[in-house]
Amino acid sequence: MREEGAICVQNLHKRFGDVLAVQGISFDVQRGEIFSLLGPNGAGKSTTISILSCLLTPTQGDALVMGHSVVREPRKVREEIGVVPQEIALYEDLSARENLDFWGRMYGLRGAALKQRVAEVLEIIGLTDRQKGRVGKFSGGMKRRLNIGIALLHRPQVIIMDEPTVGIDPQTRRNILDSVKELNRNGTTTLYTTHYMEEAQELSDHIAIMDHGKIIASGTHEELVRIVGEMDRLDLVLSGDVERVLGEWQGIAGVCQATAADGKLTLLVDDSNLVLPRLFESANRLGVRITSVEIQEPNLEAVFLHLTGRALRD
Amino acid sequence: MKVLDIAWKDLIRSFRSLFFLFFGLAVPLLMSGLFYLAFGGISSDDEGFDLSVTEVQVVNLDEEGFGGQLLVGILQDESLADLLHVTAVDDAASARAAVDRQEAGVAVIIPSDFTAAVTDPQGQAAVEVYCDPTLTLGPGIVAGIVRQVVDGFAGSQIAVGVASERLGAAGVTVDATTEMGIAMRYAAWASGQHGENSLQVRAPASAPETSAAVRIIGPIMAAMMVMYVFYTAAASCLSLLEEQEKGTLPRLFTTPITRAEVLGGQFISAFVLLVFQIAVLLGVSAAVFGIQWGAPLPVALVTLGMIVCAIGLGILITALLKNTRQTGVIYGGVLTVAGMLGMIRVFTGNVAGASGHVFDVVSLFVPHGWAVRGWLALQQGAGVSEVLPTVAVMLTVGVAFFTFGVVRMTRRLA
Repeated sequence: MREEGAICVQNLHKRFGDVLAVQGISFDVQRGEIFSLLGPNGAGKSTTISILSCLLTPTQGDALVMGHSVVREPRKVREEIGVVPQEIALYEDLSARENLDFWGRMYGLRGAALKQRVAEVLEIIGLTDRQKGRVGKFSGGMKRRLNIGIALLHRPQVIIMDEPTVGIDPQTRRNILDSVKELNRNGTTTLYTTHYMEEAQELSDHIAIMDHGKIIASGTHEELVRIVGEMDRLDLVLSGDVERVLGEWQGIAGVCQATAADGKLTLLVDDSNLVLPRLFESANRLGVRITSVEIQEPNLEAVFLHLTGRALRD
Repeated sequence: MKVLDIAWKDLIRSFRSLFFLFFGLAVPLLMSGLFYLAFGGISSDDEGFDLSVTEVQVVNLDEEGFGGQLLVGILQDESLADLLHVTAVDDAASARAAVDRQEAGVAVIIPSDFTAAVTDPQGQAAVEVYCDPTLTLGPGIVAGIVRQVVDGFAGSQIAVGVASERLGAAGVTVDATTEMGIAMRYAAWASGQHGENSLQVRAPASAPETSAAVRIIGPIMAAMMVMYVFYTAAASCLSLLEEQEKGTLPRLFTTPITRAEVLGGQFISAFVLLVFQIAVLLGVSAAVFGIQWGAPLPVALVTLGMIVCAIGLGILITALLKNTRQTGVIYGGVLTVAGMLGMIRVFTGNVAGASGHVFDVVSLFVPHGWAVRGWLALQQGAGVSEVLPTVAVMLTVGVAFFTFGVVRMTRRLA
């Protein structure tokens, strides 16, 4: 196993009873890069993150974090990483400062160094003015910021973020994405999981797409998009029997892939200029009205659709 | 150091918790305070509370016999003056009528053949205790005294019967005067057996002198303290489950810390919290209710035993629960029932005989019962050697619970 990367995952398996949540995945994360694990809920992202955070032991395989094995040297791995869990994991009856102070101690900080670092992190997450306030009275965005701040306390080499933007408002989301970029500029390696294609696209140097416990594609954004070639993605909203239309349109020349969800059809097509007139003609014949059409350049959503036959949001 | 950091964090959280402040400190004191007021703790003097004096009318139809005179004399004894006011009347019907009119609580009617009956081995006579059905304590006292005297005479009858039989077998004729003499000698002997010379009822040498209200409130306060200390210990340990569900426990395990440090911090926190709770409850109850808890060393031993036992049970319960939604069952069910069983001896303290013994034994089936036993012993002035067995049981049970709970918790957190 190579050790020069920040994270080297090799043939990782995790079984829960009869369920194989992670099925032999391997990937490398280079030092100083942002690496995203992209996939729908249940793809195995959080299980992978839990193994890399030493919360779960792999059933088979191993991973090195900054050269330390998660199986054999979990304590050393924990010293190197900062983990931002998906759920907000804070003591709501303590103040922001008390939370940072406690978690700093858990990472081994003491005395003046701890005091100084807590002040710095409060500044980074913009909570200096609210440092004495009870966390239970904070807004969701403030809690999210503090949740991230805790992972920064000991200046970790690697930060692992498990879907940190789930269920938050756009402004806080923007704030978090900017924080991740800022950390990256300072040389921190970030492993980031998300099921939002836009986030992976905006942040990542490398992306691994996961589905059903496997990595089905990996590479830079450009490399991944190339998988679907020059295909366009069409999102259509119809009034009528979408399932009947779906069956009809899958046979239309130029349509490579078609899926339906929530009354919306998503198609991967060779050339939207040629295919669209055929779709309208078919819709007329079937007595269905097309109420909205959106043409998109190839993106990660299209890649996922191409590889799995399902939309990422499924 | 991290162990202490975790303990300190948990302590801060506990002291900010309304649950602890209310249920841990306020409720046991309030409950005991209510009992204290109910038993006249504020209004009375040193004696705490007073039983009302029962009016008794005695009709001695056995004026010539020594039996009737003896019974009347006992009822009119000065030592009973605080409880009974005895008036001798001539007519049984008027005595009963006085009871019916509630002018008297009890009428005691001694039949004319009382002495003859009690000295005749074959004789039978019944002293009538006619009482107001709305009263319980006064008639109970009178009936108890009468029963005691009659039982004494029953012994005389047996003595006369046995003596007559033996003397008859030896060819000696026993007349009525001789029988009376035997009966009186037996009565004198029985009186001596139960008198001050042969029976001394004493409190332990170190037993504090306490008022009646304190004698009642002391055990109740002990029971309340035990019940709520076990609640607090369970709540403190159950915070592990809460942390697991809120994600702070898994997050802790992403930091360089061991499971032993987390559990150790939890134990230290619970220990200090319970020491504080017990110290406050002991101090406040001593100051407000005047309860004397005993010497420092035995108190410290019982405190240690109870804390280890309570934390052990708390860890065991936490290890057996799946989530915090089940804690309602624990508080409402297991801990409350165990607590009530444990304190049953406090509220059945007046039950005499086999039933009282059964309650005492039943209370020892739960850890609370051993703790209550320890505190009651302290209130009666027990020293180190007297509480050591109880403390040893609590420590053993606590360590056993703790070990089982920690093993299970460690597997669960692994």
